[in-house]
Amino acid sequence: MILQINFKSGMPIYLQIVDQVRAAAASGALRPGEALPSIRPLAEELRVNRNTIAKAYTELESQGVIETLPGRGCFLKENQSALRKKVRRELLVEHIDQVVVQAHHLQVPRDEFLELIRERLNVLDDKRRAHEDHKEAPKED
Amino acid sequence: MKSPTPVIQIENLIYAYGRAEAVRNLSLTVEPGRCYGFFGRNGAGKTTTIKCLLNLLRPQSGQVRVFGLDPARQEVEVKRLLSYVPDQVAFYPWMSVRETLDYLASFRAHWNRQTEQELLERFQLDPAQRTGNLSKGQRTQVALVAAVCPETDLLVLDEPTSGLDPIVRREFIEAVIGAYQQGVPGKRTILVSTHLISEFEGLIDEFTLIDHGRAVLTLDADQARERYQKIRARFAQPPSDIDLKTALRVRRDGRELELIANGSGPELMKRLREHNPESLTTESLTLEEIFVATLKS
Repeated sequence: MILQINFKSGMPIYLQIVDQVRAAAASGALRPGEALPSIRPLAEELRVNRNTIAKAYTELESQGVIETLPGRGCFLKENQSALRKKVRRELLVEHIDQVVVQAHHLQVPRDEFLELIRERLNVLDDKRRAHEDHKEAPKED
Repeated sequence: MKSPTPVIQIENLIYAYGRAEAVRNLSLTVEPGRCYGFFGRNGAGKTTTIKCLLNLLRPQSGQVRVFGLDPARQEVEVKRLLSYVPDQVAFYPWMSVRETLDYLASFRAHWNRQTEQELLERFQLDPAQRTGNLSKGQRTQVALVAAVCPETDLLVLDEPTSGLDPIVRREFIEAVIGAYQQGVPGKRTILVSTHLISEFEGLIDEFTLIDHGRAVLTLDADQARERYQKIRARFAQPPSDIDLKTALRVRRDGRELELIANGSGPELMKRLREHNPESLTTESLTLEEIFVATLKS
């Protein structure tokens, strides 16, 4: 799990860390039972205040995402399925919102926009199917 | 609950060199456990203020307190509680790094030998080297080792990274985070004066921007990045009748607009949206950009 801070996002630094850990948990970049980086090296690597990392971890713990084992560090909690579903949706909504705003600026009407989404879903489905067929095909060689 | 004694409290500080006023009516408060940025251009009055905290200068007017103590009257107590990396580091040139650190440790009640060893290795400093033969970067590193090892409750850094190369600057900041911030949370307070703001950005909890001896802006760093926004908009036709008076700065180029907002971002965005922009984007200003926007407007 590689974290990155963006000072231009307008979001408090500790919340950026909270969001990225949740996203890593949702995407599988961080698996249940896996350790989070310890505070000191992570703070040094990101060059942010140790207290900021500590605050992010405290927040994640109170959200039930991670647990602290004394003397051993912080770990992603087991049983994150509810969170994963919720976070996945949140992440997707963020991207969808950006595209919707972009469509508005480019003055693409609603019907055309929805049609375009359907079209892209089909195109990508076709691509995936072609890829899978191709994978099975080599047996004939 | 009574709030804890501030680590640093400066009230209406005035200091002049002859007729040249360096600090004019400056006030600021640093709470325990914070990393406090003290930003300003060269000659803004940062070093003069810091010297008043260390009793290297006596305030001509106003009051300075460190841990509630008066540095002019309780100098030894104050110096016991803080360590300091000056902008110009000077050691006895004939002493080795080892002798210099032992000499400086002899003034301290406490000295963490293990931290010293770790930092010497980290900076790849040769203990046998005479300090007169060290580079500027290495001298600053020795000064940081000497400032971290006593494990004081307050670390004062005065332009610590000016004139150092980018690698040394990074290592310096990483060492401050790793070695100094190691202690009990809420007990390690940092005051860092600098005009190289971007490299300290992630470390700063709160800052005061000083210009011509006056505090022009004091803000929490997260709040500052939320309040200061850069907004870019592009229109089909050059817009003429948009009220942008609440913007800190406006740049126009044909059909494009770039605004700097201080708190009025949402309102300006709403107003721009009413004119159906072809594109409208926003981002936060970094602390360095806030510094520039504030001092140039």
